[in-house]
Parts: sequence; structure tokens; C-alpha cells
Amino acid sequence: MDILESVKMAVKTLTANKLRSTLTMLGIIIGNASVITMVGVGQGAQRYASSQFESLGPNVLFVIPGSSESRNRTLDAPRTLTLEDAKAIATQVPTVSGVAPQLQTQQAVVYSNRSTSALILGTTPDFSSVRTFDVANGRFISDLDVQRGTRSVALGPDLAKSLFGASDPLGQTIRIKNISFQVIGIMEAKGAFLGNNQDDVAYIPLSTMSDQITGNTSPYGTEVTFISIAARDENSVGAAQFQITNLLRLRHKIVTDDDFTVRTQKDALEVVGNVAGALTIMLAAIAGISLFVGGIGIMNIMLVSVRERTQEIGLRKAIGASQDDILVQFIIEAIILAALGGAVGTLIGVGGVTLVSMVSPLKASVSPAAVMVAVGVSSGIGLFFGVVPARQAAKLDPIVALRSA
Amino acid sequence: MKTIIRFDHVSKVYGSENTEVRALSDVNLTVEAGEYCAIMGPSGSGKSTAMNVIGCLDRPTSGSYYLDGVDVAQLNDQELAHIRNRKIGFVFQQFHLLPQLSAMENVMLPMVYAGIPLPQRQQRATEALTRVGLANRLNNRPNQLSGGQQQRVAIARAIVNQPVLLLADEPTGALDSHTTQEVMAIFAELNASGITVVMVTHESEVARLTRRVVWFRDGQVIHPNLSPTNLAQVTVAAV
Ligand SMILES: Nc1ncnc2c1ncn2[C@@H]1O[C@H](COP(=O)(O)OP(=O)(O)O)[C@@H](O)[C@H]1O
Ligand SMILES: [Mg+2]
Repeated sequence: MDILESVKMAVKTLTANKLRSTLTMLGIIIGNASVITMVGVGQGAQRYASSQFESLGPNVLFVIPGSSESRNRTLDAPRTLTLEDAKAIATQVPTVSGVAPQLQTQQAVVYSNRSTSALILGTTPDFSSVRTFDVANGRFISDLDVQRGTRSVALGPDLAKSLFGASDPLGQTIRIKNISFQVIGIMEAKGAFLGNNQDDVAYIPLSTMSDQITGNTSPYGTEVTFISIAARDENSVGAAQFQITNLLRLRHKIVTDDDFTVRTQKDALEVVGNVAGALTIMLAAIAGISLFVGGIGIMNIMLVSVRERTQEIGLRKAIGASQDDILVQFIIEAIILAALGGAVGTLIGVGGVTLVSMVSPLKASVSPAAVMVAVGVSSGIGLFFGVVPARQAAKLDPIVALRSA
Repeated sequence: MKTIIRFDHVSKVYGSENTEVRALSDVNLTVEAGEYCAIMGPSGSGKSTAMNVIGCLDRPTSGSYYLDGVDVAQLNDQELAHIRNRKIGFVFQQFHLLPQLSAMENVMLPMVYAGIPLPQRQQRATEALTRVGLANRLNNRPNQLSGGQQQRVAIARAIVNQPVLLLADEPTGALDSHTTQEVMAIFAELNASGITVVMVTHESEVARLTRRVVWFRDGQVIHPNLSPTNLAQVTVAAV
């Protein structure tokens, strides 16, 4: 008996009992739908994070407090980076073209009777060039502002809007932590970075920040949250990283473990890649488990089906079906259920991914290869879990089967 | 004449030692090609067991069964399936049609296993159904047919692969007297066309329409060759 006949026969049987067939497929459908959605969203997230780090530009480096090991151990980042470190980098590292130390905290910002919470970011003039934040109106913080610790503030466009609405903020006075600041500039819109709105920010001189807003909390000097650095060009990033590391080791008198980390854009992309890799392994494990469960579901219902169809099997044998014919018939039924379930689940997954990319910044997508793998693996699962019930059916003694009425 | 069925000391034992049932007990029996014979006997005398062995659905516990000269015990599953498919047509008391298939599809089923291509299947199934008087019921499902019609579909299915041996285990047991007559007419016609017919029945009116009666009791053949015409006296004597 040829395969095409077996397939026709299986389709006939499966369509004769649509509800059961659907329920049998449910496990595989759900498994595939969730796997496809998760993989699609995961890849979308990876692509999003990568593009975000790429948008920083290839010559940007960051110095953050603590070694990668110590950050894993403690929740609170150690306060080891100082303004003096930043100055030393700027003056002593030749491959560096700009250094922007940052000290930041979330605070209430008040204008007349309006109040909102925003990120207060104390920094130096280099920030605007290092991070490519441009001024739309007025000016950014100047060296003089930092030297004198003036109460000047440049506002992100969203913050300006929520405080001032349509009126012009320039020259107006706002209050941060009950201290008056004069608005000197409005920034260009920058959008979100990794989900954080970068336009809802107030920029003030670093010195003002540490003296009047946060207070100095570091025993080593004027503490900073982290330091953004621009290397002269893309090719000097490696050298800059090396030089900064050496300089800070000297300054911090490091003997064994670094108390800071210098990250390049490449490092950040690598981290994203590593996280994505770990995520992929986890997803693969979940996929494996859910498909396994789906396969067991198929086997389970097929076993019941073999029992129910004992008479049919007996009759088929009585009129000339061999054990192989019966075996093939049941295996094909299992494969069709699994493959169809895989296809339906994949379709639902693609729908889910499309939905996610419509409502979120993640540009998630599903590759045709992933779809083919999903359907292929599902068919394999059907084959694997169909064998046991199919063998049971094939081994039925025709006369026992016929008598089971 | 050619011997088509030969039982050589065939026994069939069910159960284990202390619950043992000897459904067939040392049966010797031969049926020649072209015969039309009825197997009769009291309930539980081993008639169905004998039919199942003849139809290669069951194997004897001991002794040998030769079908068309071949020792069935020597055949593997593939060969048995082939014999059930090509040489034997089996009609059951309970019809055993597949409910999800039409009359036509049920009749085509043995040809599917024979590997016959679809157009030929359709043609032969139509012929077989026409032969049993169901030319106008090709696309009906079993539940849309009367008992007599269902049994005729089953007969069409049994003969569609042109078997040499047609076996029927109480084929009229579930039918009224009118449809019984119809079914018996079909058997007579098939036998006239050269097919060997062996049927189990407990109705002497049915047995009377055959040409030989084999009488079973307690798993043994006690009358291997009764004449169907003077069955009445023998029946009384035999029981
Ligand atoms: N599968 C079985 N297991 C145990 N005993 C059986 C089985 N099939 C038949 N028998 C027994 O074998 C004997 C013959 O049965 P059967 O051939 O069906 O008789 P008949 O068809 O003449 O009524 C009976 O006693 C019956 O109970
Ligand atoms: Mg019986």
C-alpha cells in the first residue's frame, strides 16, 4: 500500500473526529506558538539592544564603578569613581578626545505650581559632544558653570514641556530639591535608551550636583555615577581602554581586583550577544520541554484511540492489512497531527510576534527557517511519539480485535 | 477435484490448564474447490473458531491447516495479510463496516491494501455493489443503510478482490427472512460463478439452500457431510 493512500486514509480518519484531533494537537500548538513568540521577541529584543548600543557610536567608552565580579555580588554599586579620575583621564590619556563624568539622581522638579519627577544629571560640558546630545535652544552647561558651581539647568524637551507647556522656559527659574535653578538651554529630542526616556532629564553642573543636591558621599573625592568618554577615533578605542585602565589602577592603587570597569561599545554588544545566547539556550530548553509534553499528549490520545478503534483495526487486518500497513497508518496520523499542530502553533506564534512588534519598540520577526524547523521538529515529535501507539495497533491480533464488540 | 481447505488434527485450546476450553478438538475436515457448504451445530460447538482458522484470522493450537495446499502455520504476517486480502472474502454476522466510510469506500478498502489504483478501484467497487443490488447506494454511509443492505455491502467488500474462498459466519443471523433470501441468492450466484462458499448458520432453511452440511458438536465434526435436503431427521439425531 503506498504512502499517498495511507495519508488519504489518515486524513479521512482525523477529519471524521475533528474535536479530538484538535484537542490532540493542542499541546503541540501551544508549544510551538509560545516558542515562536519567545524566540521572535527575544531576537527582537537583542536587535533592539544592539541597535541602541550601536547608536552610541563606535568611539564611546564608559567607566563604571566596581569590577564585573563585585557588581554581581553587591546590589549597591561601590562609590569608587571620582571627578578627579575623570579629570586625570582627560589630561593624561592622549587617545581620549572628551570626558563626561556623570552624577545622577531622581528628584522632584518644580516650576511655579507644577511638579514632576525627573532624572537630575550633573555633568560637564563634554557630555553634549561625547554623547552627542545637542542643544536646540539656548546653551548647555559651560566650564565656567562647573568651576563656579552655578545654579544653571538645561532641560530635556519632554521635561521642558511638562513644566512649561507651550511657554518659553529660557531664563525662567525652576526648583530642584528646593534650590532655584535658572533654565539656560533646551536639548534636542533624543528618544529612549533601553527603555529610559532621555528627554525627561535636567542637566546641571557636576559641581553643583555634588555640593548641593547629592552631597559628597565618597571618601575619595567628588563621587560620580559613571564616566562617558569619547576616544579620538574608532581605531584608538582599544588603546584608550588600555590607557584608562592603567591610569585608574595607578590612581586607585589597585593591587589585585579592579574597583572599576572600562566598557567599550564592542563590550556592550558582546554582553548583549551573551545575554541573547543564554536566552536562546533557555528558550531551546523550554521549547524542548513543551514539545515533549505535546508529544506525550499525542501519544496519550493515540493510545486511547487505538483502544477505541480495536474493531476497525481487526477488520482492516481481516480484509488484508498487514502489520506494517497498520503501523504506517497510525504513525502517519500522529505525524499529520503533530505537523499540523506545529504549523498552526507557528502561525499563532507569528501572529503574536507581529502583535508585539506593533505595540512595542521591539522589531520582532520570525525567520522562515525558524518556521520550517518548528514544523519539522513537530513532525519528528509526532513520529517519535506515534510509534508506541502504532506498534500497539499493528500487533493487535485480528480475531481478538474483531471480537472486542 | 482440488482440495481448498484441509484440517489435519486441528485443535484450538483457549485459556490455561485449569480453565482450559477446547474450542476445536482434533478436527479433520476437507472442503473441495467449488463447494457450497454450511457449518451447523449448537452454540459453543466451535463453528466460529473453525471459520476463523479457515480465514487465517486465528491459528490452531495444534494440528495443521492447509489452505489451497499451503501450510498456513509456515506463513509470516505479510503472507497471511496477502492471503486474507486476495484469496479469502470474509462476511461477519455484525457486518463490520467502517462507519466513517461510504458503501463505495468500504468496498474499495481491500483493494487499497491490494495496491490497486483508484480508477480501477472505483470501477470494481461499483461492479461489486451492482452485483449485490446496491448500484443506487454507492455513496451512503453504513448508518444510512438497512441491515440487509449493510450485509450486502459487506458481501461486495468480501468478493471485490475475487477471492477463491468466501467465508460467512452467520451472515443472515441479524437479518429478517426476506433479506436472508436476498443474501442467500447472492451466495448461490457467487458459488455458481466458481467461488467456494463456506457459511455458518443455525437456520436449517438457510442450510437447505447449500449443498453440504458439516455438523459440529463440542469442538468436533460429528457429521462431515450431511445432505441439506434431509436435514430435518439428521438434525434431530445429531443433537
Ligand atoms: N477468545 C476466547 N477465549 C476463551 N474461550 C473462547 C474464546 N473464543 C471462543 N471460546 C470458547 O470456545 C468455544 C467455541 O466457541 P465458538 O467457536 O465461538 O462457538 P460457536 O461459534 O459454535 O458458537 C466456546 O465454548 C467458547 O466459549
Ligand atoms: Mg459463532
